[in-house]
Amino acid sequence: MANAQDDSSNIGRRKFLTGAALTSAAALTAPVMPAAAQTTADNTASRTPPLPNLQTETQPPTADPVVQTSSGGDFMAEVLNALGIEYLAMNCASSFRGLHEAVLNHTNNKPEIITCPHEEIATSMAQGYAKIEGKPMGVICHGTVGLQHATMALYNSWCDRVPVYAMIGNIVEADKRAPGAEWVHSAIDPAALVRDFVKWDDQPASLQHFAESAVRAHKIALTPPMGPVLLSLDAELQENPIRDRNALRIPKITNVIPPVADGRGLEEAARLLAAAEHPVIVVDRMARSAAGMQALVELAETLQCAVVDQAGRLNFPSRHPLNQTWRRAAVLGQADVILAIEMNDLWGTLNFFADRIERTSHPFYKNNTKIITLGSRDLYMKANYQDFGRFNDVDLAIAGDGESSLSLLTERVKASARSGRKNVFADRGKVLTQAHNATLEQLKTQATIGWDASPITTARLCAELYAQIKDDDWSLVGSAIRVNWPLQLWNFDKTYRWNGSSGGAGIGYNAPASAGAALANKKHGRLTVALQGDGDLMFVPSTLWTTAHHKIPILYVVHNNRAYHQEYMYLQAMAARHQRGIDKAHVGTTITNPNVDYATVAKGFGVYGEGPVTDPRDLAGALSRALAVVRRGEPALVDVVTDPR
Amino acid sequence: MNIVTKIAAASLLTGVACTSFAQQAPKGDAANGQRAYLMAGCFTCHGRVGQGGNFNSATPALANTVWPVEALVAFLRVGLNDMPAFSKEVLSDQQVADIHAYLKSLPGSKSPADFKLLNQ
Repeated sequence: MANAQDDSSNIGRRKFLTGAALTSAAALTAPVMPAAAQTTADNTASRTPPLPNLQTETQPPTADPVVQTSSGGDFMAEVLNALGIEYLAMNCASSFRGLHEAVLNHTNNKPEIITCPHEEIATSMAQGYAKIEGKPMGVICHGTVGLQHATMALYNSWCDRVPVYAMIGNIVEADKRAPGAEWVHSAIDPAALVRDFVKWDDQPASLQHFAESAVRAHKIALTPPMGPVLLSLDAELQENPIRDRNALRIPKITNVIPPVADGRGLEEAARLLAAAEHPVIVVDRMARSAAGMQALVELAETLQCAVVDQAGRLNFPSRHPLNQTWRRAAVLGQADVILAIEMNDLWGTLNFFADRIERTSHPFYKNNTKIITLGSRDLYMKANYQDFGRFNDVDLAIAGDGESSLSLLTERVKASARSGRKNVFADRGKVLTQAHNATLEQLKTQATIGWDASPITTARLCAELYAQIKDDDWSLVGSAIRVNWPLQLWNFDKTYRWNGSSGGAGIGYNAPASAGAALANKKHGRLTVALQGDGDLMFVPSTLWTTAHHKIPILYVVHNNRAYHQEYMYLQAMAARHQRGIDKAHVGTTITNPNVDYATVAKGFGVYGEGPVTDPRDLAGALSRALAVVRRGEPALVDVVTDPR
Repeated sequence: MNIVTKIAAASLLTGVACTSFAQQAPKGDAANGQRAYLMAGCFTCHGRVGQGGNFNSATPALANTVWPVEALVAFLRVGLNDMPAFSKEVLSDQQVADIHAYLKSLPGSKSPADFKLLNQ
């Protein structure tokens, strides 16, 4: 597919193969035979195999070059470095061997190759990495089959609005494909498989085209609403020599400044919020940086209003007295104005829903409550996959990046609030502070139930873990128990303390995404921990090998409830509904007989393993020993046999 | 309306049935109740020791329950929100009474002030 400009000659790898094949065919059809053999050919030809023609079979065709001094992959690697891509996660494959070799030898393993035993691991790592580091990590997959492995992780990234920079190899020109694997690993339009859930894709036809599309893909991925992108890289383009490097240029890399909301919209929102008696802020995937969290804190403190953090990112400090996350229904029921920022599922947040035979729902909020939305999701939608949730009534919809728009909104709120309102705000803040403290006390009280039980309660597990990490610069990057107990019991005060969930609820996210996040945290010296579901780990156990191979410091604490527990509960509800077999819901939903020994699994992959821990009194020691391993820069796993949730 | 209030309301709504049941209420056995609690899958949402948990939303703690057995029966027969109903066909009155006895036997919550790990 490479054009003439990019090739120093028209003789590429596959022309060599073609030439060799033709020569071999000629040797078979017209063998050069010794003279003695020729004299008896009539008698022996059918019984004597032809002798090899050494000259034909050991020498390349005279016109076929045997070495080259550059490759398109060299230039591609330079472009990836220019984009600031630090890592390239992959499971090696021939369709991108050109770029792979170029990264190793032309740019000296930059981006650094992260070896992954599965493309789902590679892509999920990139998702977790981007949410900590704020920029994309590269992923490259085999054409067709590799991308098929990566699809669920790309879907998670799409739903989670995370910039993942994905690439695949492909062999576009049919006459260049070798028989066999190269055919089944090639496609006319390989990105069609994932086009519903990547933000943009391209299949460049030249190296200059690649450079421009690579920069464009980077720009698109990082423009809110962010999302994964995909480039299909032709193998010839990667492998053939560069004809004239000076003719190629890498475009200027200028990322889009996130769109700030319209001033009139913010003005109206500020007026409504300042005049409200019970304004409530709900927020999901807003804070990308410390500035985002600080901006939200300033707005909330200006209004002294309730904040409900849906924790798609860590948007608001967990112990801030205005944090009313665990009183969602109560504060929404009282609200007269709701400001919803960067919400993934607005309807699901604002409405009650019952999963009964006849499904019912009703809003938590009153009929006359004004609802304002602020965010970038309305700026880019796709139709097929329904990750946008049910449509909700909104009174004022403001398009704009939440993080970038908040400080302007706060300024306008300050300007709108009449001086007499400040006392009202202050009184409101006192009531909310009391409610926050009372709720926290109630949750702590509940955490005491079953404190010494075995299987270990998740509350005890979280309390024990926090005791061991709270004095470090810690980062919780995955949670299989939802994030309730940690958010209720731990002090989340920085955005990297939590980086959100999978997005698409695709199992097999937690282990590799946590590893990717840990890779990002490594250079910042943070202590990374993940509460790892056993069911999730069963999908992608070889993630552990990658963490050992690349010395990624992370503590996996396996929440080993020996079940795909959400499904266990659903099945129980189904059986009860049908008045039959309520004692059978464990069939197909539990991971027992045999029980999995995850510590031994970890050891097999070269990771320090402890457990299974069944007595809560043994937890502290096991966690302490494992954390000592992590603090010296290596991964560790503690298998804890837990109660369901 | 919190969960306890809803339970109370359910008890009132089914008052006749409850009264009737109370008159014939079998005596619950905690050991049998634990077996029934595990068999019926109550633990999947409410925890093996009644500590509560999460399903599609938070599920209440049941340890050392203050509900009368009549309220538990009434509630189980209709369910609430995502909590499914359990009919007599799959969970008899005797089994419910046993489960109630088990829940009553479980230690309830304590003061978190006594737990250093809950005050970090």
